Amino acid sequence: MKPWQKTVLYIVVIYFIFLLGPTAGLDIPRIVQAIAQSPSLLVTQLLVGLINGAIIAIIALGYTLVYGIIELINFAHGDLYMLGGFAALTVMGAFGMQDGAPFISAIIPMLAALLVSAGLCAGLNVLTERYAYRPLRNAPRLAPLISAIGVSFIFQNLGLFWGGLRSFIPIMGNTAAAPKSFPDLLPRTDIFQALGIQTKIDFTVKDLVVLVVAAGLMIGLNLFVQRTPAGKAMRAVAQNRDAAKIVGINVDQIIVLTFLIGGALAGAAGLLVGLYNNTIVFTMGFTAGLRAFTAAVLGGIGNITGAMLGGVLIGLLSALSDQYLSSRWTDAWVFAVLVLILVFRPSGLLGENLQEKV
Amino acid sequence: MQIILKALRANLVLGAVSAFTVLLFGGWSGGVMGWLLGTATGYLKTQDQFVPNPQVGARIGAVNGLALGIWTAIANLAYGLILRPLIGQSSVPLGQSLLYAIVSIVLATASATLMGAIQGLANPRHKQATWFTLAFILLIFPFVDQIAKTGWIATVIQIQIFAMLALGLNIPVGYAGLLDLGYAAFFAIGAYTTGMLSSPHLGIEWNFWIVIWIAAAVAAIAGIILGAPTLPLRGDYLAIVTLGFGEIVPIVFRNLTEIKIVEPISSLVATILNKPELAICLVGCDQPFNLTNGEAGINPIGRPSLPIIGTFSSTNYLPWYYLVLFLVLFSMFMINRLRNSRLGRAWTAIREDELAASAMGINRVNVKLLAFAMGATFSGFAGAFYGSYITAIFPSVFDFSVSVIILCMVILGGLGNMTGVLLGCIIIMAADRLYLPQLAQVLKGLLNTTILPNVANPALRDFLAISFDPIQMRLFLFGLVLVVMMIVRPEGLVPNERRKAELHSENSVANESLADVRSA
Repeated sequence: MKPWQKTVLYIVVIYFIFLLGPTAGLDIPRIVQAIAQSPSLLVTQLLVGLINGAIIAIIALGYTLVYGIIELINFAHGDLYMLGGFAALTVMGAFGMQDGAPFISAIIPMLAALLVSAGLCAGLNVLTERYAYRPLRNAPRLAPLISAIGVSFIFQNLGLFWGGLRSFIPIMGNTAAAPKSFPDLLPRTDIFQALGIQTKIDFTVKDLVVLVVAAGLMIGLNLFVQRTPAGKAMRAVAQNRDAAKIVGINVDQIIVLTFLIGGALAGAAGLLVGLYNNTIVFTMGFTAGLRAFTAAVLGGIGNITGAMLGGVLIGLLSALSDQYLSSRWTDAWVFAVLVLILVFRPSGLLGENLQEKV
Repeated sequence: MQIILKALRANLVLGAVSAFTVLLFGGWSGGVMGWLLGTATGYLKTQDQFVPNPQVGARIGAVNGLALGIWTAIANLAYGLILRPLIGQSSVPLGQSLLYAIVSIVLATASATLMGAIQGLANPRHKQATWFTLAFILLIFPFVDQIAKTGWIATVIQIQIFAMLALGLNIPVGYAGLLDLGYAAFFAIGAYTTGMLSSPHLGIEWNFWIVIWIAAAVAAIAGIILGAPTLPLRGDYLAIVTLGFGEIVPIVFRNLTEIKIVEPISSLVATILNKPELAICLVGCDQPFNLTNGEAGINPIGRPSLPIIGTFSSTNYLPWYYLVLFLVLFSMFMINRLRNSRLGRAWTAIREDELAASAMGINRVNVKLLAFAMGATFSGFAGAFYGSYITAIFPSVFDFSVSVIILCMVILGGLGNMTGVLLGCIIIMAADRLYLPQLAQVLKGLLNTTILPNVANPALRDFLAISFDPIQMRLFLFGLVLVVMMIVRPEGLVPNERRKAELHSENSVANESLADVRSA
């Protein structure tokens, strides 16, 4: 294509975005007006986006770790996170937690839920790797992807089944497929108000707790990968599996470890999203998984920092789209970002050029 | 006796299918299964051995058909005398059960004998006769279904709709090796085109026979438009982009309810000069334009009509059956011709090695886009038929699980093999639409009459009553099919020879390093 043709193409595309964009909520005068009217709403929305983005980032880490090591899009990861949410809810039910229970009494159940959901998801992820992915390690690239889609469906159905166990787990409610309400345990005390600062910005203890836990998990993972011998081995396997084998790294063990960590993170994210949004449903894994995958691709798949950055960006994008574009079109915008990134910059924002891997 | 026992063992799979059907449906379903599966066993069992003349073939067929019939007959008796009382219905009298059983045996043996004998005919004639028999079965199936009171015809029409979709998906995935995870989007585009052009919703009510071609053309164009950005991508990235499109399209159809389009440049000028009348409004000026009617869907959609039959009605399945049968056969014919054309060979070439193919002078861009467009065309046909058959379409019908179910059919049957894809489609659709609902009903009856009254623990009873619903397990079954097929038999039930060789290549390591060298 000649340069002038390219310029014309871009102009035409931009024209069409402005022509058709308002239908999908991209009405710039209206957005500018809305922001000018209440800037504090923008800040609140950015905070919501940041927190949701942190949760997305934790899920995205699972995608990126696995892709970095065995170049598999672990399609089942989103549904694994959903199962983590169900496990956490089950633990909450076992402790008899209810909305507005005092924070102090909720600490032990929350820790127990974190342990159970992280442990369950880690175990499930390792089992999946062992029985659904490992036999296909030398098969054509698409075979494990299709297998992962199958596992995703199995997990989703497992969630539906789990949600229908009202006879044993009363907290699941009456209908299997209906969204479950997750007990609201984190206090909603406004931090700015408590400190005596008058703002219109909502920033509660609940937001802070979720943000701190998410950030802690990410920092911990980063330290693990950068500082420990096992993390070093993981990076080595990601770079070159055969060479890692030659220098004496047990590749299978490292892959299992990767799935273990990714699964535990997904379980933790399941608990966090339950605590933050107070509702979980068995279909939430699919959408969240796609968003997290988008985040991982946006940041550069295989790149841990990139996944965190991508997660936050996707969280911000969806929060802003919910508020200023149109919440009905948010998913379409997120997927549009996914398609655009994959088509124009498959290596993502931070990733090195992965062209030869694709 | 020895031969019969051996045949009983050889027909275990088909016999189990037949017996299972009878246990679920009862009545004359045994006869219908005997007829259909008897023909199948007559064909299958004569393939792996030399059949010199019709007599030998007939003997082989008769033995196998008899074995199949015996399985079915046992199931008939078990159903009438044991299962019926257990699920809380009156048992079938012994005489009636025996009649069902005998009819099953006779029909299975007769059809297997006939098919076996046909296989023993001289070379060109046995193929023609086999096709003729198949065509005959397809043509008279609706009448047999009516006589036997099985009521399968509605499901068979659904199976055929999905057969068209699976055949279409087989083009990009099976022939050209482009994994398309958003195929339901084209189905949706075909159905929505039909909905918009032949329903009072927009005031356009064109004839179905014109609209179906428009729908196919629109789907093909959509295939090119959605396929174009994926051209530089390979493997799993391509799959994810198509998945993204597959998610976006239903969202777009769901939300195109309030369209108001203003020409942007004039609108900008109007804002700057503060003269709102300068903005040129293109669509939905007085009130926002409702294109797709959102979640409520487009309803009603016009039905096709023919001179003698008149407008197809919703109660009479016959015209629908023959129409969709014609469409499936037409698709099969077209795809078969495509497969063996220059284009079809180019598809195979880019699937096996894109770089080598383009070095041999194949235009990668055109060939890939045509694979998407051709695949989309057939789902456009399917969408148009679906829209006017159901007479209402909703965006929720076309979500990701539909794409995966169609993919499941292609993979289960055998990527790139038309017979395999059709078989996969029949197995999955029959299991999903026919067997699971009926199994759910039978299980419910069984639980209510036999099991639940004997369970004392109330929690356990509640659990049994609500959690044992086979319909809720359908996603689980699809997922299991994908995983197990990938691990055990990635080439599918009826493999394509070339594809099989690729999937089981011994020197995959060599291929891997070759790929590295190539991209470096």
